[in-house]
Amino acid sequence: MMKAATFQWLVLLAMTAVAVGLSQATLSDNAILAPVLLTTLIKGRIVIDRFMALQGAIAPWRWIVLGWLVLVLGLIGYAFHMAQT
Amino acid sequence: MWFFILAELLVFGVFFLAYAFARTRNVELFNASQLELDQLSGAINTVLLISSSYFVVRAVDQIRHGRSRSCTYWLLAAMTCGGAFLVLKLAEFGAKIEAGITMSTNTFFMFYLGLGFFHFMHVVLGMVILGAVTLKAWKGGYSAASYSGVETGAAYWHMVDLVWIILFPLIYVLH
Repeated sequence: MMKAATFQWLVLLAMTAVAVGLSQATLSDNAILAPVLLTTLIKGRIVIDRFMALQGAIAPWRWIVLGWLVLVLGLIGYAFHMAQT
Repeated sequence: MWFFILAELLVFGVFFLAYAFARTRNVELFNASQLELDQLSGAINTVLLISSSYFVVRAVDQIRHGRSRSCTYWLLAAMTCGGAFLVLKLAEFGAKIEAGITMSTNTFFMFYLGLGFFHFMHVVLGMVILGAVTLKAWKGGYSAASYSGVETGAAYWHMVDLVWIILFPLIYVLH
């Protein structure tokens, strides 16, 4: 179990590096939006499901927190996309 | 505790969306102001909070196996990362204030300082909670049969981490 947690921690660090790298690259604002939000979604899901141990928890806790994550990131994506068009 | 955590997530969610939609009307201003932020400091703070969350996971695992002393050490490691986060954040705020930037400078900095300080206070509260749990663990107050206090403190700390995981790309990365 702790090997899995260590792996997830390393994935979280790698995803952070990817997001920072994307922001430093000479890419358009639109080009980095989806990948940065995707890495954030993956990171959030790891924290919710694995670190908070909500995967397999009694409903509806997991779905409420995951729903919050998806809704907030989705609306942030919509707002940033709207600002670029 | 979960009702409290959900309420906190809801409040942060509203602030995040307020920032994102306020930006749609001031894109140039937000992009120009964002360039004045120390992205490296934000990235280091992300590493610190993610690592502290991982250390808390290790602490919970140790107490599940009845290893109270080892649980204490992992919690201390988590608190060290949390403390480093607070020091870095204070330095970041200090640099902005020294540069004459306040909440009334513009809309971007109102959100940057407001959201940053609001999250900062949650980290402080998380440190207080982890401190109390660490002290009790050090005194042998938890066991493999009774460790709900460690789990509760861990859940709050992970919430603080989860919020930062969104706050960092929103304020420092996306443009």
